[in-house]
Amino acid sequence: MSATTEAAQAAAPSTPAAPEAIVQTRSLSKTYRDFWGRQKVRALKPLDLEVHRGEIFGLLGPNGSGKTTTIKLLLGLLFPTTGKALVFGKDSSDVSKNERIGYLPEESYLYRFLNAEETLDFYGRLFDMPAEVRKRRTQELIDMVGLNWAKRRQLKEYSKGMTRRIGLAQALINDPELIVLDEPTTGLDPIGTREMKDLIIKLRDEGKTVLMCSHLLADVQDVCDRIAILYQGELKELGRVDSLLKVDEVTEVRARGLSEEAKSEIREVIQRHQGELLSLDNPSTTLEELFLRIVRESEERPGARPQ
Amino acid sequence: MVVETEIIPFFEWLQLAVPFFLTVAVAVAVFALAASYLICAVRYGPLAGGDVVYRVVTTSIKEILQISPRRVFALAWLAIQESVRRRVLVVFAVFLAILLFAGWFLDNSSHDAGKLYLSFVLTATTYLVLLLALFLSVFSIPNDVKSRTIYTIVTKPVRPGEIVLGRVIGFSLVGTVVLLVMGISSYIFVFRSVNHTHEVVLLDDPELVEELPEGERFRTTTEQEHRHVIFEDADGNLATDFRNSHWHPISAEDSPEGTTYSVSPPEGTFTARVPIYGKLSFLDRAGRPASKGVNTGSEWMYRSFIEGGSAAAAIWRFPGITRERFPPEEFPDGIPFEMTLRVFRTYKGDVERGIPGSYVIRNPDKPDIQSSEQIFVAREFYTDRKFIPFELEDEKGNKLDLFEDLVSDGKLELAVKCLDPAQYFGMAQADVYLKADDAPFAMNFVKGYLSIWTQMVLVTGFGVMFSTFLNGAVAMIATLAAIIMGFFTKFVTDVATETVSGGGPIEALIRLLTQKNLVSPLEDTLGNRVAQLLDEGVMFVMVRMGYILPNFRQFDSSDYVANGYNIPWDLALQNLVATFGYLAAVFVAGFFFMKTREVAK
Repeated sequence: MSATTEAAQAAAPSTPAAPEAIVQTRSLSKTYRDFWGRQKVRALKPLDLEVHRGEIFGLLGPNGSGKTTTIKLLLGLLFPTTGKALVFGKDSSDVSKNERIGYLPEESYLYRFLNAEETLDFYGRLFDMPAEVRKRRTQELIDMVGLNWAKRRQLKEYSKGMTRRIGLAQALINDPELIVLDEPTTGLDPIGTREMKDLIIKLRDEGKTVLMCSHLLADVQDVCDRIAILYQGELKELGRVDSLLKVDEVTEVRARGLSEEAKSEIREVIQRHQGELLSLDNPSTTLEELFLRIVRESEERPGARPQ
Repeated sequence: MVVETEIIPFFEWLQLAVPFFLTVAVAVAVFALAASYLICAVRYGPLAGGDVVYRVVTTSIKEILQISPRRVFALAWLAIQESVRRRVLVVFAVFLAILLFAGWFLDNSSHDAGKLYLSFVLTATTYLVLLLALFLSVFSIPNDVKSRTIYTIVTKPVRPGEIVLGRVIGFSLVGTVVLLVMGISSYIFVFRSVNHTHEVVLLDDPELVEELPEGERFRTTTEQEHRHVIFEDADGNLATDFRNSHWHPISAEDSPEGTTYSVSPPEGTFTARVPIYGKLSFLDRAGRPASKGVNTGSEWMYRSFIEGGSAAAAIWRFPGITRERFPPEEFPDGIPFEMTLRVFRTYKGDVERGIPGSYVIRNPDKPDIQSSEQIFVAREFYTDRKFIPFELEDEKGNKLDLFEDLVSDGKLELAVKCLDPAQYFGMAQADVYLKADDAPFAMNFVKGYLSIWTQMVLVTGFGVMFSTFLNGAVAMIATLAAIIMGFFTKFVTDVATETVSGGGPIEALIRLLTQKNLVSPLEDTLGNRVAQLLDEGVMFVMVRMGYILPNFRQFDSSDYVANGYNIPWDLALQNLVATFGYLAAVFVAGFFFMKTREVAK
């Protein structure tokens, strides 16, 4: 886990006694039928979930587990077979709930013949925003996702990562209270992934609620406060990430500047207490950390080979 | 020109149309509600189903009221961007190519070149613009669903109606611009193609004298395969005769070297005549009043025929003849009228020669007071231009004043007879009319394009509506079906109401397969009775379809422009209002289809 995310998680507000539910599902289920009404797939079995204000909630599961179906039901893109999906206490079929939602779909389904500015301006107009507000907001978001250099280029010329960034900007155009992210880090390089994760945490710190789904476990572990694990359309696990992942019978000790004698002393202490030593060696950093460090150093001293 | 249905004044029409529209709207709404409830009741049970329908209807009313112009125009703007990206401009290239080929193949020396060119450009424009509207409108929403770009739209506070309305407005705007450019280029093309001038040929021009026949010394050179004879009117103005549907004014300028003449561009090629139509009635061969003439065997009952050399006559009674309407200062030769009669020959004879006929002007209340017989020669497909003078004579040579003696209560009668025994004249009400005025042609041209515009908007509306619940190709077929049905609305209604013989569709099929004629009753077998029973169901639906689908033929008034008749404002306004009526219906239907569909898969 990186330093920034650790710090952010430590600073996360502890859940208040009666948290306000932003998203609620009540035995929400979806069955796909064919043209003749015959049952094809039970994509989601009755699901009860609550997402509270100010948390990052992750839906986790392999492909086809019903994550995206849940999100589509919440947004009203699909109609539930049974049960209800409530967002801000409104039914998911109520269009007015969308005023306060930002949605980044799995792939950024944007109009490829528009450029970045036009795209954001267009979505701004869908929120009925007046021209000056749109102009200001468009520029802010383009700066935020770092696409100022390409804002006049049609989206069809964009790389996957750039499309993803403009997709994110599009989702934030209305300064939403609830941000729904479907696989936010797919198609992003390590830098982009890190930036996306930092941004998600920043949004949470601004008091927004984030609902994301992903099958990339590392991403979920890094940012989510609470997760739900879905498998074959069924809820398998629900809870806080830290408590779910805590391994009670294992103790981890990390220290800096220990001599060999100190290490052997530690081994002895463990033996004396009938503990089992699992490992005692120098940790290797993650590839992500290594990569990010190299990039950072290259930016500081262009041309030189990083040490 | 064929005028099958009489055009009634706009406000009279409105009084009929609005209640009709509301009745149909309520009927469709009730039907739709019942159908939706049935579906929901099957799906969710009778109580929950009712609740679903109730909730959809109430939220829909709310959502229709919440439509935001900014969002609609954002979506319209998107539709325009999409059209541009889908290379709408190619249509211009196609149109230009069509005009270029037309320039090669259309004959500008034809006897009515103006009509030829106008009907060509109007037809070409109509088909191109309608095709464009069809292709743009039906693929847009299905493409958005397929590429899932619709996800980012419907997750914004966009009401379903705005998606439909935005598309209709956007594509209509594109169509309008296309139509505008086509209209302007057509106008220039037609004018430049037909435009020509002549030189005046004089005896003292030694080189040209050789070509002149004996006795003629003052006429024009041959251009576009025709030449004119030059006349001088009472005021000393020079002008050519009326040939190939036009004439040229000529100006003369005296100088010490002699008089120079210059021929101006043609006039009369492009007109917008304002006709006053009369009521047509007939006298049979014995001179007794009849509502119709003779049928000479045509299935199309539009025209009736009168027998030559008998007492049979066709009588038009024209309203609104007053001195104020036709002041002698403006109509020095009298009231102009035009006559296009059909000729039905029982023997061929010399086809080049016309058939002689006569007409009299008479007082509708006192038919004894009538002018002396005027003889004319009727030729097929030829419009005779004549005048009713203000001073006439009766058979005995007594002077008659048009307004004093012949017009009664603003009405005047014109009775036509065919003089050649064994030949017939055919006529419909619109074949003889008084020419009250010439409206400005340019305005008429605009009105003609307005009629294309209404059709384009209708196609766009139907296309978008169908594409809210069908995929692109199917939506296109559905829209085409609606258009084709629309073109034959009258026939469909006629079949359904048994105005045309032959029974309903299934009965007609039986007649076709068993080679039965259309009129004799079918044998009373069980099969036939079942067929007729089924037909009644089909015909019930057909009549209702006839109420709903737009009558496209009614919307097309390009014939008026091509034939040189003014499109009455009454008609133009009726079509415009009807178009918006249809758009409203299509919008509501599209709204519900969009609202009740799942956008995602």
